Amino acid sequence: MSQDIREAENRVFRHSGLEMAEHWAIALSGLVLLMSGMFELPMAARYRITALPGFAWSGDFIASLYVHYAASLVFAAAACFHLVYHGLRGDLGLLPKQGDVRASIAVIKTFFGKGKEPPFGKYLPEQRLAYLGMAVTIAVLILSGLVKTYKNVFAPDLDYTLVLWATWLHNAFFVLFILAFVAHIGALLLRPNWPMIRGIFTGTVRLDYARHRHPLWIATLEPPPAPPEAAAERAVPAPVPPEAAPETTPETVAAETEADLPQTPPEGEATSPADEPDGAART
Amino acid sequence: MKASLKLNRRAFLTATGGAALIGAASALGAPREAMACRGRLATLIDLTRCDGCDGQAIAACVSACKTAKAGDVPQPVDPIPIPFPSRKVEDWSRRQAVSDRLTPYNLIYIQKAEADTGGRKTTVFIPRRCMHCDNPACATLCPFSSNHKFENGAVVIDPDTCFGGAKCKTVCPWEIPQRQSGIGIYLKVLPTLMGNGVMYKCDLCQDLLEEGKTPACIAACPRQAMAIGPREEIFARAEAMAKRIGGHLYGQEENGGTSTLYVSPVPFADLNAAVQTGPGRPHLRPVARRMAGSDGLGKAVLAGPALGVAAGIAGVFAAISRRKDRSGKEE
Repeated sequence: MSQDIREAENRVFRHSGLEMAEHWAIALSGLVLLMSGMFELPMAARYRITALPGFAWSGDFIASLYVHYAASLVFAAAACFHLVYHGLRGDLGLLPKQGDVRASIAVIKTFFGKGKEPPFGKYLPEQRLAYLGMAVTIAVLILSGLVKTYKNVFAPDLDYTLVLWATWLHNAFFVLFILAFVAHIGALLLRPNWPMIRGIFTGTVRLDYARHRHPLWIATLEPPPAPPEAAAERAVPAPVPPEAAPETTPETVAAETEADLPQTPPEGEATSPADEPDGAART
Repeated sequence: MKASLKLNRRAFLTATGGAALIGAASALGAPREAMACRGRLATLIDLTRCDGCDGQAIAACVSACKTAKAGDVPQPVDPIPIPFPSRKVEDWSRRQAVSDRLTPYNLIYIQKAEADTGGRKTTVFIPRRCMHCDNPACATLCPFSSNHKFENGAVVIDPDTCFGGAKCKTVCPWEIPQRQSGIGIYLKVLPTLMGNGVMYKCDLCQDLLEEGKTPACIAACPRQAMAIGPREEIFARAEAMAKRIGGHLYGQEENGGTSTLYVSPVPFADLNAAVQTGPGRPHLRPVARRMAGSDGLGKAVLAGPALGVAAGIAGVFAAISRRKDRSGKEE
């Protein structure tokens, strides 16, 4: 049995400590960036956010620039670390696969009682699509933000066309980032996803939940169930030529496991919104 | 005085590539700004010369500016939307003739100072407008980049994209930009919830500069108290002039440096104490560039991606090393 599964504790490891650190670095710095970015609009004083306890500084554009810069440093460094570290390791489980769009539509239909949720791997198809969307959003925000920062520090007379592109991309993707953040939190609020929330805090989720909803993932962690005839053969050992032995690959394991699994998850666990924020993933 | 003016123009034309070249470039269909805005410019305001056009109702520079900018501010909608929740509307459209302070319709005005320097009284007239700072927070912090500093040093607000949030005014040490409510793009978005008009300030007559001409206020000054030219030349002239008269400079260090240098026969602290200040009437105090403190952190932000990449590569090597250690122990 994989060391990722702790049968006695009914837990399975989903995220490493490093991945959780990446997730929270990006999530918390992103939240601070959203907040300080809104303050950089002439918003805090107008809407009297400055009157809130502890937010008197929010009306000072230079003070909120310090906060924005500090959060940007964490955000950009964490995102680049994520890209390079997982890219070099070949952790590609969160990248969209062929058929994810169609599969996502099918899953979303199950929210409205149409059809049944299929068994999932570690990630849901819409999670993979959302990851790509969030990654593109973050990349554009970082690149455009770097241009704006360079302008602030070194070149206030930077080419105006470049400045306008950077500014409007930053503003447009700022709005997309807010929408993505709201969607992410919205997904976490759905009851079926509650068991997954624990995962991003502790790194583990309930094994019984994962077996029901993500059986294709669990199948890659567990040894394949022995077929009855093989068990019988083990009881009466007999020489088996190597070429006659059934070949076990991750694909066949998954297929066999899928065939054996119940197609209907338990009541109350039948929806499938995203459960991994911001792409921090244990693949 | 004529010589001074000639020098100003010659210097200016040198900086901009020359009027003849501009004409030729225009005739050949080259971009208009190609010649006109080349090089960094600066302006010099000689307070030993300016007499505020004493005796005239409006100083020549103020009048010329009003003429040059006439019609730039469109007629505001009626009624002007009341912004939520501040309910603050700034409407100068019925007070367009005001000339004793900065307004959207009056981008330069004359401050009068009866300075007292050790008991010696001196009357000084000070033309006031945007200083065109070297690193202007009003432009770099504009959330829509409606305000931009161009290569020639002019800091210019684009009225077509300005929402009139007045952030530029807030971060300007002299609170130069002035708002006209009831006009601009904000009316087409969320008039009561976002924005509140358009900000206006001196743009150094960028349109005239692009045509190879001199800004209206400088061209109109009957005493040649103002000059424009290549930055190094203007700075050298200002410093030499201040040294010659035992005078004082303002604008060289203020807010991290500006493109406008005042030369005064009396200390600016004395002038500041004597001028009337308040909304639309800027002070003459020494000011530091507040954003300078954030530059170090900004540089760290620029290095952030490289830090992340380096940490990522180091992390992969560490993981490989751990794996080798484990497999070595298992063997």
